[in-house]
Amino acid sequence: MLKYADAEPSAFASMLGGLIEANVANRLEKRKDFETLAARVGIFVTDIDEGVTLEFQSGSLVVHNGLQPKRDITIRAEADTVMNLSNLKIGPFGMPVYYDEVGRGIALKLVRGRLRIEGLIGHLATLNTVTRIFSVK
Amino acid sequence: MAVKFASDEWARQFKDEVNRSSVYKSAAKGWKWTVGLVVEAEPDKNFPESLGVIMDLFDGTARDIKVGPASEAQQCDFVITAPYTRWKQVATKELDATKGMLQGKLKLKGDLPTIVRYTKASQEMTECTTRVPVEWPDEG
Repeated sequence: MLKYADAEPSAFASMLGGLIEANVANRLEKRKDFETLAARVGIFVTDIDEGVTLEFQSGSLVVHNGLQPKRDITIRAEADTVMNLSNLKIGPFGMPVYYDEVGRGIALKLVRGRLRIEGLIGHLATLNTVTRIFSVK
Repeated sequence: MAVKFASDEWARQFKDEVNRSSVYKSAAKGWKWTVGLVVEAEPDKNFPESLGVIMDLFDGTARDIKVGPASEAQQCDFVITAPYTRWKQVATKELDATKGMLQGKLKLKGDLPTIVRYTKASQEMTECTTRVPVEWPDEG
């Protein structure tokens, strides 16, 4: 289900890969999302200058060190914000909740440009699916 | 008054700081796992033997925090391991613990979704360590 593209995955790659693997293994609704998602998602942590590319392949995932080409979506944020993305609650219709404390914090970062999402237009549904898979809530 | 790092008195003051923190109390509600911090030896920094900090944390309170052998800390549900210098950087706010984990400077063992769910609690726990005045073995 999970593979690392690099012989020595970075700590960040291992952490994200491990987090997604555990989420998908433990939660049926996340597994369903995982099995349907085909997308290349980049996550770049701006305050440590490290990134990964998550290549979702409808039921399997390849985690690459660094940002690789041909990404559908790229999320750029500081470490705290990236961790908080995993703490977004998922509400009705599988939509991330942006009105509680964590959600408002994320929304504010987006408005202030401290969280940037490239490729959002045309990939909103993909972003929501990734958020659901990523969320530990 | 400063206390020796990783001494019994340091552990007691650290525990008191955790239990004084309303932020921790609220953010760690529901937490029921033990946490071990392994401080790896750095003889050239006058820290000759690896030590463990064993934390019995339950539902927003620290029931016990003690210093013991590294092997005991390694038996905890969650284990964070780093050399002495890294822990000093964390306790003096030179290194953010979240960034440290993402960079592999602090190595985490345990269920990732659980620790991520309690990010705020672990950040406040780190803040608590910074409030204990410490006498470092490689200084003075």
